[in-house]
Amino acid sequence: MQDDIFKLIWWVLALPLFGFLFQALMGKLVIDNLGPKIGRTMMGAFAVLPILGSFAIAANITAALRALPEDGRSRILTLFEWITVGNLSIPFEVRVDALSMTMVLIITGIGTLIHLYATGYMSEEKDYTRFFTYLNLFVCAMLLLVLGNNLALLFVGWEGVGVCSYLLIGFWYKDLNNSFAANKAFIVNRIGDWGLSLGIFFLMFMAATTLGVTGQGSDPRWLSYDVLLPNIGVMLENYGHWPLAAAAILLFIGAMGKSAQFPLYLWLPDAMAGPTPVSALIHAATMVTSGVFLLNRMSPLFEAVPVAGAVVVIVGCITALLGALIAFGQTDIKKVLAFSTVSQLGYMFIACGVGAYWVGLFHVATHAFFKALLFLGSGAVIHAMAHNQDMRNYGKLSKYIPITFGTMTIGWLAIAGFPFLSGAFSKEEILLETFASKLNWYGLPIGLIGFGVAMLVAVLTAAYMTRMTFMTFFSGEERWKLIPAHAGHGHDDHHDHDHHHGDHGHHDHGPDVHNFFYTDAEMAEIAKRTPHEHHHDLDENHKPHEVPATMWIPLVVLAALSLVGGGWLFFGVQLPEWLASAGVVVHHHEEIKSIPYWIQKVLAKPIFWAATAAFLLGVAWGYARYFKGLPEKDGVDETKWTGFQKAASKQFGIDGTLTWGSINLGKILGDISMAFDKYVIDGIVNGLGGLSKGFGNLFRSMQTGYVRGYAVLMQIGIVALLGYFIYITMIGGAN
Amino acid sequence: MLSHLIPLASVFDDVPLGWFLTLSLLMFTLGGLGVMIRRNPVVVFMCIELMLNAVNLSFLSFAAYPSPVVGDPNQAAMSGQMMVIFVMAIAAAEVAVGLGIIMAIFRQKNEVDVDEMSTLRG
Amino acid sequence: MTLNQIAFLVMGAAALFGAVGVVFFRSPVRAALSLVINFFVLGLIYFMLGSQMLGISQIMVYAGAIMVLFLFVVMMLRDDGKTDKPQTQEGKFLVGLVASLAIAALTYVAVISPTMNYTGEKFNRIYGTPQSIGTVLFTQYVWPFEVISILLLVGIVGSIMLAKRKF
Repeated sequence: MQDDIFKLIWWVLALPLFGFLFQALMGKLVIDNLGPKIGRTMMGAFAVLPILGSFAIAANITAALRALPEDGRSRILTLFEWITVGNLSIPFEVRVDALSMTMVLIITGIGTLIHLYATGYMSEEKDYTRFFTYLNLFVCAMLLLVLGNNLALLFVGWEGVGVCSYLLIGFWYKDLNNSFAANKAFIVNRIGDWGLSLGIFFLMFMAATTLGVTGQGSDPRWLSYDVLLPNIGVMLENYGHWPLAAAAILLFIGAMGKSAQFPLYLWLPDAMAGPTPVSALIHAATMVTSGVFLLNRMSPLFEAVPVAGAVVVIVGCITALLGALIAFGQTDIKKVLAFSTVSQLGYMFIACGVGAYWVGLFHVATHAFFKALLFLGSGAVIHAMAHNQDMRNYGKLSKYIPITFGTMTIGWLAIAGFPFLSGAFSKEEILLETFASKLNWYGLPIGLIGFGVAMLVAVLTAAYMTRMTFMTFFSGEERWKLIPAHAGHGHDDHHDHDHHHGDHGHHDHGPDVHNFFYTDAEMAEIAKRTPHEHHHDLDENHKPHEVPATMWIPLVVLAALSLVGGGWLFFGVQLPEWLASAGVVVHHHEEIKSIPYWIQKVLAKPIFWAATAAFLLGVAWGYARYFKGLPEKDGVDETKWTGFQKAASKQFGIDGTLTWGSINLGKILGDISMAFDKYVIDGIVNGLGGLSKGFGNLFRSMQTGYVRGYAVLMQIGIVALLGYFIYITMIGGAN
Repeated sequence: MLSHLIPLASVFDDVPLGWFLTLSLLMFTLGGLGVMIRRNPVVVFMCIELMLNAVNLSFLSFAAYPSPVVGDPNQAAMSGQMMVIFVMAIAAAEVAVGLGIIMAIFRQKNEVDVDEMSTLRG
Repeated sequence: MTLNQIAFLVMGAAALFGAVGVVFFRSPVRAALSLVINFFVLGLIYFMLGSQMLGISQIMVYAGAIMVLFLFVVMMLRDDGKTDKPQTQEGKFLVGLVASLAIAALTYVAVISPTMNYTGEKFNRIYGTPQSIGTVLFTQYVWPFEVISILLLVGIVGSIMLAKRKF
């Protein structure tokens, strides 16, 4: 009976898959037959329902899992044998434990809300079902990533979410910029996936030899977590510190790619070219946190090699600081949130690096609440502002869109660290864990560095989020009224979507020899031919309007989660114990078990006051600068900006430098390999070819093309054969 | 049972086997020579038919003069005749296709000469 | 010299005349007609060897059908004006002649000379009747027979395609 409920886990995986297949195969049929309005409503419902069903089942399974004793909270279910090679077996198996179910609940829960939101947000989209096809497929792949019980299945899910991310960033593929952003995301992720696959191969090699040697390899599932992770110690004895550290760092490179860590963060800001629900679901709440999930899952490995932890902390620090600084230079509301996401992901990795893996996952959860809320809220703002994303054209929106304003305010307070909201809990835990960490690297106090950076980033986060919120909802006048109305429909390059432009202009994209992309002129032509269902520009006549119910209901739910989610996870769920039952390494501090803990720790500890001070400092700066009105230093005229802000808006040149550098480095490598190809490989091939050509020339003269000549040659051959036969039969050559 | 209808069948058994084989050999040699010295592809085909018939003749000769070492003379005779039937069928198919090819070449080049058909020259 | 031997020599001479005519007549029509002579006489020799069924087939299939086909093609090629002189002057011809003679000599020495006086065992020669051939063809050799029928079908289709298609 108890196990029956765990078998339902297959439905958690299957429902989004069925949803994907239904959207892909039936979508056009339904919409063509029922008309756009009813058809889209129906397909929207069928997009939301599978995810909701998965969430309901997953919630039940989690409840059943919590009812089990702590040391038995892990179930492995096998569907079929997937790969069997020699003594290696990789079954298609899932692992139901606290870690995977926590991730599943985040994915399906937030996923349901965002799907619901998207039915409203995308309601005027022509490719309605294509969007939900990709989105359902994404959920399926992400669930496979977190549920799989071995690294091979994780890799399948990892690549699956990568493909869906690519498809959704480039959803409006007719625009060259979106295609570029999608390509960039895909290519940068390749680097990370290179690291991940090498790490997996490395671990597999060590596991195969180790488990084979010690005789514990009777279970051939080397890549399965329940076989691999308990044997990390044995592998450490066999191979020593550095090979394992190399494997761990390679895995972390995979996490860097997917979770947008420096220097592979480049793709995430550009990924905002995709529709806003995609930014919320994939590029804030779920997919980008899969790196943190990986570190949690492999925590015994990272625990065994402190060097890897130090690398994680340093990369996390750089990313957190850089993301926060760049956010100050952005005027596109989604870009601010994108760099905020980069920064917060760095935060999570700082926590994981110092050994507080559960805190990393805690922050994943709370961040999923408030960042999804902020993204969806920004989508509502963009929706209200005629698809203009420049915050400098907003102002005083609190009057027009009260629900969005209210919920986004909660999100802002949560991320900025207002005491007792969800963000504050996880942030304080990170500060505490970094401060308490004894991690050091050749005398360098990594833990303390992490603490310092985390404090600084806490201040910066509060500041730039205050800037964003005030620029949007307060700050003086309604600035879009300053834009003069267009005489006609002259400039018309956004279609039925929130196509952002002006922020970084159109890329100069070199010769387009295949005519694959539309040029700007062709885009305008297409836009003219395609009738708009509902469209007008942002100008002085614009009236912002509140979003429909399908869009604000998710906002309210997420706002509620942002309010109480942190406390609930911390005190209600007891996240550290809960995750420890899944094999995540948790360092217990003495206080955690004590009863008056929340009084002792939350009010009496200096960390709480430090975090609150950081919050107040950041908000005060933002209030002073932005509440009254848009300061000239951050205004429409960018020449009056401060030097720091100009640099930040250009990402301190990192994006450009890395892109330029990688292109040139790639070109040099390409030249070298081309020369190698030309002179060495081609030399060998041409040499062989020349050899056979010489032989061919030798024998060519025999090929006269005269049939009668061939007949003569044949006769001569027959004579020879007959002579041989007579020789062996009559003269006795056989003996 | 039918032997009374075919009195010829047992009449000729005083001609030695070697005579038939010699005829076959001469026909074969002449056919081979013709393939080498004629340029008209139709005649070349005729020469090939000549060679095939020479082979048929030797098959039937061996069928009619079973060797002492062959176990069942009737079985040997039947096998020889079967081979001849199959050779005839294959020759018929070959002639049909071969002459079709010659016609196709003639339509394109307006002349037929095996020496002109030398595009396979190396 | 028995009567049978004289009869064989007469038929053999006729067959050889036909064969020589095929090779050395310049006109393709004459070559074809001498091939008819050769085939017809061969049919008679098959009778003499006891294969009545095959003798009749030889006359009908070869001397009849196939030769008509040859003559049709010769007619359609309109090659009457051009003579096809046998290329006896070439070095190729000399080499070929030598090779042919060598084949003939070797075969004669190895295969034929031991049989020059062999007149065979006496046994009841009823193997050539249509009945006995049909019995064997549709029992023991039924699969080769079917394969041959497919081959002929393919040949028909192929020659029709060759005749129709414009290259």
